[in-house]
Amino acid sequence: MAEIRIEKVSKVFNGAYAVREADLVIEDKEFLVLLGPSGCGKTTLLRAVAGLGMADAGRITIDGRDVTYLRPGDRKISMVFQSYAIFPHMTVRENIGFGLKMNGVSAAETARNVDEAAELLHIEELLDRRPSDMSGGQRQRVAVARALAMKAEVLLMDEPLSNLDALLRLEMRAELKRLLADVGATTIYVTHDQIEALSMGDRIAVMKDGVIQQVDGPSEVYAHPANRFVGSFIGNPPMNFLDGQVVQSADGVRVQVGQSSITPSPTSVSALTDFVGEGVVVGIRAENTEVLNEPRGDAVKVDVRVVEPLGSQNLLTITVGGNLMKVATHPTFETSPGADLWIRFPPEQIRWYDASSHALLVGGPD
Amino acid sequence: MTTELVSEPEAAIVEGPRRKRRQKLVPYLLIAPTLIFLALFFAYPMVQGLILAVYDDEAVLPVLDKPTIDGNQNGQLPQGSSVEILDRQGNLIEGEVTSDLLTELWFRVSSEDGAQGWAPETRIRVREESSDGTPLIGTVRTKLGAEADPLTDLFEVPNESSEVAAKVEPSVRVAIEDTATLEVWFQVRASGETADELGLVEGWAPSRFVQIFGDEVSGRIDRGTDGVFTTRFVEKMVEDRFFGPAWRTTLILMVLILPIQFVLATLMALVIHARVKANSLFLYIFSIPMGMSDLAVGILFFSIFTGNGLLNSVLEGVGILDDPKVFLSSDTRNWIIAAIVLAELWRATSIVMVIVVSGLQAIPDETLEAAELFGASYWKRVRYIMLPLLKPSLQVALILRTILAFQVFAVVIALGGGEIVTVLANETYRQYFELRNTNVASAYAVFILLMSLASAIFYLRAVRTQQETSGS
Repeated sequence: MAEIRIEKVSKVFNGAYAVREADLVIEDKEFLVLLGPSGCGKTTLLRAVAGLGMADAGRITIDGRDVTYLRPGDRKISMVFQSYAIFPHMTVRENIGFGLKMNGVSAAETARNVDEAAELLHIEELLDRRPSDMSGGQRQRVAVARALAMKAEVLLMDEPLSNLDALLRLEMRAELKRLLADVGATTIYVTHDQIEALSMGDRIAVMKDGVIQQVDGPSEVYAHPANRFVGSFIGNPPMNFLDGQVVQSADGVRVQVGQSSITPSPTSVSALTDFVGEGVVVGIRAENTEVLNEPRGDAVKVDVRVVEPLGSQNLLTITVGGNLMKVATHPTFETSPGADLWIRFPPEQIRWYDASSHALLVGGPD
Repeated sequence: MTTELVSEPEAAIVEGPRRKRRQKLVPYLLIAPTLIFLALFFAYPMVQGLILAVYDDEAVLPVLDKPTIDGNQNGQLPQGSSVEILDRQGNLIEGEVTSDLLTELWFRVSSEDGAQGWAPETRIRVREESSDGTPLIGTVRTKLGAEADPLTDLFEVPNESSEVAAKVEPSVRVAIEDTATLEVWFQVRASGETADELGLVEGWAPSRFVQIFGDEVSGRIDRGTDGVFTTRFVEKMVEDRFFGPAWRTTLILMVLILPIQFVLATLMALVIHARVKANSLFLYIFSIPMGMSDLAVGILFFSIFTGNGLLNSVLEGVGILDDPKVFLSSDTRNWIIAAIVLAELWRATSIVMVIVVSGLQAIPDETLEAAELFGASYWKRVRYIMLPLLKPSLQVALILRTILAFQVFAVVIALGGGEIVTVLANETYRQYFELRNTNVASAYAVFILLMSLASAIFYLRAVRTQQETSGS
């Protein structure tokens, strides 16, 4: 059992909050990804959990034990560093066994754990080599093996794949996911790569400016971003946001976007009723729009600006009521810049956001 | 479009090797001035110094079959060998012949007020020369000393015992009309070496190389003109009664100073690296000795250890001593060495510290954090991470400090005067300035150089072997 509880943790650098009152519970054996742009405080929060940069306020417990101001070595945690932080003067064997040696584990058990960890990462033949004549990918494996050899119940990873080239990263991503599922440690994984977060995490905590924006499973974070920032940070292309106006018409509440109006889904009507006469932000993913060649029902007529064939889909840049947005179509759908096009917003795929606070109004996961 | 595509790879092939060659030229161009500089100001003086230690440039004097420089060599006599003087002859290359001649260049001069006569070259500063180098116009030199006659004598003939023709004031301009070169040659006989064998040598030698004794018929070779390689100076150095003590003391100082110094420097560097509050203040304080000359440090520590110095004041004040103790005297050799050790520790530890600090800063923070996270306490991090990674820095510092320790000088002089406690550098100085023995001084310098080289090679090898053995 190793549940990590982060309660109201703050960290201040030079008078500015790097992390502000972060609350987070990572369940036993859970894989949580801390996601955010650089400077959002994700690494600072991880370092507070690791004990490498103590929290200024708040409480961190691991398995019910208050570790907030404990030394890193006493927290029973393990970590993979962004730069790998392999000890250059030691062989791979010595590197992997370092933590065990420092913790007074017997030589025989150390040797067994080292061999086991090396086997898991397929680096048995590297054990007697030195890191100086190894490739980045090999060093990365050594760093992971060193962390796993500790057999700690908590594993922290600080952007472990960011120093690898694209192909190797893709390969290691899948391998790491499989490996960590087998190991079953409670894991906090820091990354700025949203694809990595979506593909690996049991849950994703999205951070911005030191504040946790949303903590949810990958599909919820993707489908129901808690605010505009999360929607625009996750997904490629980012979620489209259109400025609209809630109006009361004869056949109920409608949202006016430019010249056209959108009928909200029945579940969101009640929430939107409070905003009659005010602005609202319409959020929709590129692949959730219906693109039509001819007018139909409530479809909106748009101008095509750019057509980008991406192989698996065609990405169109269009303008709707002065807003630029991106929509995805089937790769066989044919159109060209300047052509007439109609798009339909399926009401159940629309997310509504407050115009001033950018927070999700309705449509969150139930 | 198509032609472009085709021509591009061709251009690349043609361009490729040429560009490569051009790139490689730059390092050579950059290194050329360095090599010239090294050759001129480093290698040349060093080789000259080396040669001085093993080459006696006045070792032998060739003797000729005729009393002129055109004579053929009959054989040669080593410096200091006794000779029998058989005959003597004075040569006047130009001018009048006189009976007792001096090996001097004389000028026949006339001053502006009409005084005329011969004066030795030493009295006339030549102002103007003709195209072939013959002096034409000069000035009479000022005579130094209050007792001296301010006037310069002009003689009838180029000989100081001849009649004084006139006297001229200092600084008077004179026209030079004639010059005379005078030389005396001795025909000498002694045992020496001829062209192919050792034996009796007979021949003529210029008198300035032969010292004659009072009996006028025997003498010895004062100095030679030809050099030979010799171990004489090295032997003289080794046999010098100060050599043993100097060599021992230098080593003792090194053995006493270096270990303490490296432990201290590493501790100081760790303090700075720990980024405690007054971090930069510590760095400044630790660096103060680097800005002081070693002689100043020696004098500073002398003032601490002197009769009414700081140490005695403190010891008396605390009540340990009733009367001031004389720490630095001819009977307290060990106290002098202790004072030198303290002064050298104070003076040169910060240089080691700076090197160690830079070495520590080269260790990435994440490496140390990883060690901390994997449970290594601070001392274990020092033991297992920092010290192994500092090895190259420590090696550099060790080589530097050992070389400097072989050269220790000013502090020793300031604290011990250089008699009771002497070191190699002090003996070099003594041989050069006090005993005027350039060659033995050079031998000492070469000895220091060789010791420094040997220690550097030893350290480099020692560390490399260690890496090789642990790596295999």
